[in-house]
Amino acid sequence: MAGLVTTFGAGAMTNSIGEIRDADVLFVIGSNTTEAHPIIAMEMKRAVHRGATLIVADPRSINLTSFASRHLKLRPGTDVWLLNAMAHVICAEGLVDADFIETNTEGFDAVRETVARYTPEEAEKVTGVPADDIRWAARAYATTPKAGIYYTLGITEHTHGTDNVYGLANLVLMTGHLGKPSAGMNPLRGQNNVQGANDAGATPIFYPGYQRVDDPEVAARYEKSWGVPLPREPGLNLNVMMKETGRSIRGMFVMGEDIVLSEPNAGALEERMNGLEFLVIQEIFLNETARFADVILPGACFAEKDGVFTNSERRVQRVRKAVEPPGQAKADWEAVLALANAVAEKRGLTPWRYDGPAAIYAEMAKDADKFAGISHDRVDREGGLQWPCTSPEHPGTRFLHEGGVLRGKGLFTAIEYRPSVELADPEYPLVLSTGRTLYHYNAATQTRRGVGLAEKQPVAFCEIHPADARARSIEQGDLVEVETRRGKVACRAMVSRQVRRGCIWMPLHFAEARANLLTVDDGDIVTQTAEYKVCAAKVTRVAEQPAERDAFPGSFYAVAGPEQGTIH
Amino acid sequence: MSSQNPKRVPEEASDPSLSVTLDGETVDARPGETILELAERHGKDIPTLCHDPRLAPAGACRSCLVEVEGSRRLIPSCATPVADGQVVTTANDRIARHQKVLLALYLADQPDFAARGETPGGAQACELHAMADAVGAPTDWPKMEPLRVGREDRNPYVQFFPEACILCARCTRYCAEIESVSAISLAGRGAETTIATADDVSLLDSSCELCGGCIDVCPTGAMTEKMPVTAGRRGHVEPEKVVRTTCNYCGVGCQMDLHVEPAANDGRGRIERVVSPEAGTTTNDGNLCVKGRFAYDFVDHEDRLTTPLIRAEDGSLREASWDEALARTVEGLMGVHERHGADALAFVSSSRCTMEENYLVQKMARAVFGTNNVHQCAAT
Repeated sequence: MAGLVTTFGAGAMTNSIGEIRDADVLFVIGSNTTEAHPIIAMEMKRAVHRGATLIVADPRSINLTSFASRHLKLRPGTDVWLLNAMAHVICAEGLVDADFIETNTEGFDAVRETVARYTPEEAEKVTGVPADDIRWAARAYATTPKAGIYYTLGITEHTHGTDNVYGLANLVLMTGHLGKPSAGMNPLRGQNNVQGANDAGATPIFYPGYQRVDDPEVAARYEKSWGVPLPREPGLNLNVMMKETGRSIRGMFVMGEDIVLSEPNAGALEERMNGLEFLVIQEIFLNETARFADVILPGACFAEKDGVFTNSERRVQRVRKAVEPPGQAKADWEAVLALANAVAEKRGLTPWRYDGPAAIYAEMAKDADKFAGISHDRVDREGGLQWPCTSPEHPGTRFLHEGGVLRGKGLFTAIEYRPSVELADPEYPLVLSTGRTLYHYNAATQTRRGVGLAEKQPVAFCEIHPADARARSIEQGDLVEVETRRGKVACRAMVSRQVRRGCIWMPLHFAEARANLLTVDDGDIVTQTAEYKVCAAKVTRVAEQPAERDAFPGSFYAVAGPEQGTIH
Repeated sequence: MSSQNPKRVPEEASDPSLSVTLDGETVDARPGETILELAERHGKDIPTLCHDPRLAPAGACRSCLVEVEGSRRLIPSCATPVADGQVVTTANDRIARHQKVLLALYLADQPDFAARGETPGGAQACELHAMADAVGAPTDWPKMEPLRVGREDRNPYVQFFPEACILCARCTRYCAEIESVSAISLAGRGAETTIATADDVSLLDSSCELCGGCIDVCPTGAMTEKMPVTAGRRGHVEPEKVVRTTCNYCGVGCQMDLHVEPAANDGRGRIERVVSPEAGTTTNDGNLCVKGRFAYDFVDHEDRLTTPLIRAEDGSLREASWDEALARTVEGLMGVHERHGADALAFVSSSRCTMEENYLVQKMARAVFGTNNVHQCAAT
């Protein structure tokens, strides 16, 4: 998100989900869309059926690669090489949109000079993607007006995540694929309300609507609005908070996240958690983090409360109460309100009064131009609205940057390749990436409690290439131990050519085989987002009971046949 | 794959250049649209069973036949493009007679649900029976024993009742054209034609991703939700309460309708089904995935937290009142605040919670505790 704000002036999908089916080129990178965003994948597949060209860049052969014209199967963590080499081709072959660059951007010359050194042939050596494929992809992307880029955490969850985003943004800016339908740069948000949580100011540097906390004018406005003096220094972001837990951070409030399952290098985090003097969590189930909590407040799930979620395409949509929360559980806004007022009373501050989520939304919209035209009433009447929506008459915005980049000038950023922090070595010879599957969701406290999903995908597993498996005498379904410098977990081996040789992949969902005991917590230099996608690992077979027969029923990935080809 | 082009309705902006006479009235038609689309735009109510705006026309069910001047036979409006100078009639005695016969034949190939004391349809209502009622189709034609057979399938979500299937192939076309997994297909010949997976394996062992789109598009309830069937309920019951909301899983923001039984769970209410809104009305275009459509049983799970809990001296958790839990929380957080300062506190809010809740958490961190150490959990 930081990369997008820097480059374009807004951190969100530039275009809309409904435009995907009309795109002529779709460049999907670092996104296993069919599993993480199934409905968006349906739109992509509809585009392909219509005749669109799909280019997938991913270290794994994901489901979407079977629909792709080309699959750029790059080595994990080498995205900058791939993207710079594509930019190299676009510049060298004169495929840039010179008018757009002249009118709407700044900083192009530095990028052109940098990417001149990133030839496709050199890129092939680093990324493993054939130079011809890089050329082909660059040409297809640059020469098609309706060409959109779609990415997710495969781009951002690296120590060079912001660089990856800059690399993509450079492609968008040099080709002018911005400010028109079915184009742009589109981060697909992983959770229902990632966009809304950011929009609402749940970040250490922004008040609602991306207004900086260290801007004196903004702070003064909020001090007036809220009637209290406010801190002017940006706070710690999540990854730093986690590293400072038990050190400078001594008390913590956590709402709706299982931090010791979801945060990287969880073993070390757990040790630091013991240094907290007080932890309160607000949850709907007892999760792993609850083991460290002093107080646990029972929250309500989406079907038990009112409010709004904002989706990936900046669309504010209603969440409506359908059933009552169980027992004494309360909607989270009620719980936070009660807590804030209890503290306010103790500190002699004026208590807050809201008669419901609509009033809370109205207060937020009042001080944030981007959402000023949106209200519960209006969403109830008209359906979802996409910000920016600055007045009650404003129809909302389907795609950003129409008639000029929001920031004024789109900013090119020259980037150099930096290897991931932990590379494979003789002791830990495999590269581990982690991710999500279709059948479970994050900490899986919800999905593993359903009958059906647990049946489809019952056990924790690790994908490993047949050659790597053979070298370790591992067969399909064997119990294996995956170990990194930070920890080890046991799970079932899924022998599969979907992963590259030398690479393994694990889902993050399983509490009994927490992938995040293994991951590194080194973060991106700008966002501090941790590198969930690359660390060094080793895998050994554990002599134990034989696997259950049906560990992976109907799995797309556990194919025994030859490597899936793509249409060239 | 190009043969599977999804039906594209031309955009409003495209130049209307064709002139068609529709039920005696001259109207502008858009090049590329079908007679059905033209008629629907002009408020005509042509019955359809196999039609879905997301799918390429199949012309399979014959319920949308209309009269076109110059054509001896009635023609399927869903699969016939408009043409300049075309003269179309959507309703007259001949068409009404055709509809009655067609639907009577369909009913003859269906079980006698009334005699069984059952309501037709699955968890969803039966469009076929409703349409037969609407056109006044005779219901007393001799019944034929359906020859279609199904398969044993241990999947937990999708139930197939072959007897109710009319082979409109909406489900198999949806599976191929929209979900694009082609897990099910028409199989067999003649009266034995049915819907099957390759080798009749369970959907769990097929390429099926359990999105349930086959249920959503089925006009008769032949494809239906298995959970009510497993619980011993068959046939459609009008939901007492329908709540439009937003899915709580990924960031697509699918709209969904929760069908709720308000009296269940001692008056707390229970979600009975999740249904996607009509195609073309929301971002998800009538689609849902396996999690959105089926993964809601966590809501009523016995593991839900129902009361505040406090860590006791011995390290165990004990139940507490809200007042006690809040007092303990204030003491805990303010204690850290007093001992180490505001920036020794950290607030993690949630990308899973509402915008209003995130707003309150950041406001609480900043205005009440005096720190900017607040971040939502999905920080990238």
